[in-house]
Amino acid sequence: MSAQYTYEKKLERLDNCARLQSVDRVPIAVATLYFPAKYSNISYEEMFYDNEKYTEAAAKFALDFNWDAVCFLRSFETVPLGLSLAATNPELAINVAIASVMGGGFGHDILKDKYSKQPGRELPKDRESQFTIEEPLMSEYEYDALIENPFQFLSERIVPRVYGSLSQPGSAQANSALINFGMQLSAALANVVAFTKKMKEVNCPPWYMALAPNPLDFLGAFLRNFDKVLFDIRRYPAKIKKFCEEMAPVFLAVGKATGQLSYELTGSRRVFLPVWYNSFLSYKQYKEFHWPYIKYIAEELIKANFTPLFSFQGEHDHLLDTILEIPEGKAIAWFDRTDLTRAKQVIGEHSCIAGGIPPALLIGGTPDNVDQRVRELLAEMKSTRGFIYSLPFNGIGPAKIQNVKAMTEAVFKYGEY
Amino acid sequence: MVDLLALKQAVGELEEGKVIGMLEDFIASNPSSDQAQEVLAACQKGMEAVGKYFEDGVYFIGDMMFAGELLTRAVELLKPVIGSGSSTKVGTIVLGTVAGDLHDIGKNIFKSIAEAAGFEIYDLGIDQSPEAFVAKIKQVNPQIVGMSGLLTLALDSMKITVDSIGANGLRDSVKIIIGGNPVNKDACEYIGADAFTTNAADGVKICQAWVGLK
Repeated sequence: MSAQYTYEKKLERLDNCARLQSVDRVPIAVATLYFPAKYSNISYEEMFYDNEKYTEAAAKFALDFNWDAVCFLRSFETVPLGLSLAATNPELAINVAIASVMGGGFGHDILKDKYSKQPGRELPKDRESQFTIEEPLMSEYEYDALIENPFQFLSERIVPRVYGSLSQPGSAQANSALINFGMQLSAALANVVAFTKKMKEVNCPPWYMALAPNPLDFLGAFLRNFDKVLFDIRRYPAKIKKFCEEMAPVFLAVGKATGQLSYELTGSRRVFLPVWYNSFLSYKQYKEFHWPYIKYIAEELIKANFTPLFSFQGEHDHLLDTILEIPEGKAIAWFDRTDLTRAKQVIGEHSCIAGGIPPALLIGGTPDNVDQRVRELLAEMKSTRGFIYSLPFNGIGPAKIQNVKAMTEAVFKYGEY
Repeated sequence: MVDLLALKQAVGELEEGKVIGMLEDFIASNPSSDQAQEVLAACQKGMEAVGKYFEDGVYFIGDMMFAGELLTRAVELLKPVIGSGSSTKVGTIVLGTVAGDLHDIGKNIFKSIAEAAGFEIYDLGIDQSPEAFVAKIKQVNPQIVGMSGLLTLALDSMKITVDSIGANGLRDSVKIIIGGNPVNKDACEYIGADAFTTNAADGVKICQAWVGLK
């Protein structure tokens, strides 16, 4: 499939797209953990828990599909534990926070978090990991304590509530879990280094490896729960804003620290900024409670020479013009369900756009359908100053292999400039 | 008696404190069942204003959820005065997140807005097998089946569930709507559903049309 471009050439192609400079072909960059597992005929459980098989599957996939960048990151359950350490030991905080994202399922097994259900554990071995809050981990009456000292609140209230093994701080069970986690953490970090080296050998840069959360989404995904935050915005608007103001610099620091780690290990300056509440908020609410803090983090990352990779999940159609507030040619706006034609009209001359065809077509369609839809999409989108072909986050686990191959061939064929 | 116009406006503006305060004062005045029906009707008129704001793009999904919550609280307050059995349902929906998917946000949003619109909802919960959908359809004979999912794996589960409903001879007796992040026109055709939505409020509108409203 297509010429084998070098790692550096692929990095440069993506960077040029982000800068709205000309490239030889539309790059293809996707976040997918499960499809490479299926392609290599290993279980999702092995993708989470067997680092050797994980690395082999990722490398085989990278070589055979020759995409410009792939993200193989896993889950997020250690993020609050890491953040709770941010004021005490920032470096350790980052290492703990990324342990589940990059290191696999060991943190889940040891800490017994309530967030995630993992393949081969709570789920069948070929089921995708799922991340939910079933019951809020903090009540609406705890905002003042959270705002007053977020790290203390995380350490003393959230950590014992969310991690079963740490539910009784100071107990032998909790101490043993922390020591065990620490012992496995250094091995996990060594695996990250080995993994990135392997990916360089197979010419596969990361779509992203660094991450900057934002306050409102963190509140909904890790502390309250998704719909409760939407009610809290109406009931406690000042407290929500205060929390966001307090936490935005912390999340910026996470973005910078992981961004630096990503740059040193992989050469990529992209920092992933996932945005989840956009689909649920009105324009007014988004501008008041969500976007100011995302924008602040993005602008500061740009000043530090990183490239924000916004992942505007769900529908962002009603909010597109806010992206024009970010400096031109400095960020990537990655969409899943947003109308790409409309995005092109609003921000096509201003920011690099990433997007693709719906995953449903890769699951239920035929190679001919896929080829046609990719051709139509690229005919429309190639004229923007920066376009990266992508797919929704972890959206193609159940896709047919022949359809993903057809999609790849179509991007290579119709994406040439 | 409460100022019905002010109540309607407060509901429309989603002024929770004002609405609840007015309703509590009203209840404390020892009203009749008929008066309580009038007050409930004013709340429902307020919900029409919410719907209009949504159509105009002023309100978004989060506001619709909040409106659903507000109306639920209003009904809870008024129900003891109105008495049970007096409310008529506009239709019945069997709802669930399909097998393999543990997410319930989309399902719950749809449920909240659909209940506010007067539907009776049988919520199966998350990770529901085709057999569970079929059993509940046989039990309650709904007009509509709603299937929800966040992950792309839900698409195959939805297809299997629709096929199973068909294999049990129930397909012609229900309309099926699928909802959630991965659904679109392609998914709807593949799965064999009657409609799809990525927006719970629009999904409720489709259901209202199916039961002959709007």
